[in-house]
Amino acid sequence: MHNRLQTKFSGVTVDSPLVLPAGVMGMSYSGMSYSAVHGAGVITSKSLTLQPRTGHKGPVMAGFEGGFLNCMGLCNPGIQDGLREVNDFKERSDTPVIVSVFATNMDDFLQLTHHVNESAGDFLELNLSCPNVFDEFGIPLAASAEEVGRIVGAVKGISKKPVIAKLSPNVYDIVSIACAAQDAGADGLCMINTVGPGMLIDTKMVKPVLHNKFGGLSGPCIKPIALKLVYQTSSAIDIPILGMGGVTYGNDAVEMWMAGAQIIGVGTAIYYRGIEVFNMINQEILAYLDEMGYETINDIPRLEPIL
Amino acid sequence: MDKRVTLKIARITRETELINTYTFKHNLGARPGQFIMLTDFEGGEKPFSIADCHADEFSITVKKVGEFTTRLFEKQEGDFLSIRGPYGSSFFISNQKVLLVGGGYGTPPLYYLARTLLDVGADVTVVNGARTKEDLVFCDRFRHLGVRYQSITQDGSLGQEGTSVDLARNLLKSEHFDFVYAAGPEMMMKALMSELADYEYEFLFERYMKCAIGICGNCTVDPIGIRLCVEGPVMPKKYVVQLTEFGRYHRDATGKRIEF
Repeated sequence: MHNRLQTKFSGVTVDSPLVLPAGVMGMSYSGMSYSAVHGAGVITSKSLTLQPRTGHKGPVMAGFEGGFLNCMGLCNPGIQDGLREVNDFKERSDTPVIVSVFATNMDDFLQLTHHVNESAGDFLELNLSCPNVFDEFGIPLAASAEEVGRIVGAVKGISKKPVIAKLSPNVYDIVSIACAAQDAGADGLCMINTVGPGMLIDTKMVKPVLHNKFGGLSGPCIKPIALKLVYQTSSAIDIPILGMGGVTYGNDAVEMWMAGAQIIGVGTAIYYRGIEVFNMINQEILAYLDEMGYETINDIPRLEPIL
Repeated sequence: MDKRVTLKIARITRETELINTYTFKHNLGARPGQFIMLTDFEGGEKPFSIADCHADEFSITVKKVGEFTTRLFEKQEGDFLSIRGPYGSSFFISNQKVLLVGGGYGTPPLYYLARTLLDVGADVTVVNGARTKEDLVFCDRFRHLGVRYQSITQDGSLGQEGTSVDLARNLLKSEHFDFVYAAGPEMMMKALMSELADYEYEFLFERYMKCAIGICGNCTVDPIGIRLCVEGPVMPKKYVVQLTEFGRYHRDATGKRIEF
């Protein structure tokens, strides 16, 4: 049957525009499978580093009225074990996989790229913007257009996979950074990473709730920020955007599309609506297509760009 | 909304030298088999099964095994601890003839289960095993509850030498049970599983948990990917028989597979 949700991202056909983002359910091949069978059209691995990381001590997750703070701290089994999970998943599924990698310097990014080249992954995502490791690594690379351009350019020189740069919303001018990534040859952008960071305080024990004190903000409250940044950025660049930030319902996904995203991440919404959220949003997008008389998702119009 | 509450420890009960029960005055509303995340905000937040739960209080039973639980053992009644939950799946409540198999400090959640089963009129037998009698918990509580109760230790410090699986095997040979429940070390449950081909059962699993709300993926189990913090920690036979990692490996805080 004709799949009305099918679209393309950087040359790769996806059966649903919904993406499992990095850091959500992507620790194991089975977690990736569980998300794919529930309707995710693209799977992103946990952000992988050269060496395993245990991440921050708990609490690493804190809820409040508008969403969540998290400071997982880039826990991951390291690139080798992480790619084993990706390969084990790809043996069982045709769903495209974005392999997310994190590093703080050029050499490490290049080494990670060599590993990903040999994997079954479909895309390479450069996590330039984890907000939860300031103490350890300082200001994220994504804060500097020059650094982003330098790393994307070098990685593009050796990568066998399309390269996606994941950008931080927590910068003064995201558009100039996005342009730097595009000029350096990035095949796509992923935005936005978590917002803030922010904090919450336990008033009885007089302690920050998160052990790391600060954590990146996700959930419904960040959607307006994500829409605005995706819209501004898509107005200025030509490469496709994986848009994310607070998408919880089908209408949020349509908004993200209209703002300029080609595929759409759904993460924290798994808490609010269960793992079935991917299928639910797929159905809600289909209902929107019917209501508006659009044949496929690709017929949904975009906003007029900012000139 | 995922709600955190910070509570005073109402009561600390010494079970053995290394095992304490902490009781909090709070209407948690947990069902048997569910768990909470507990922290002292000094570094670390860990899952603990509910050992008992009433309208006005609940308790958890903790073994001193590492840095985090060692700090818990330094706490006094009246000190604050912070919790969130309850989380996860709960045990099926049968009103028929049931067998509960517990091992070591995994046994306490079976106490809340046994009490709930008795309330609905089930015929409850509990077998409880541990390495030595110092590790055996809740014996008196189970006896006071009015269930049929047997305990055993591997070193024979209570008389007979063996495991709770040995006790279960003997009972299953001579009697029919409508449903079997187990909580304890994974290898104990793995051994028990081979005795239960003809029985319906549920096992309480343990895995490294971080977010506890089904997002981070650290506690997914292979190959189906269900999350122990949402679809578990209580898993019915239909899931247990599919788990290729059961009794073979688990994932640590990095997500790396670690063999048992």
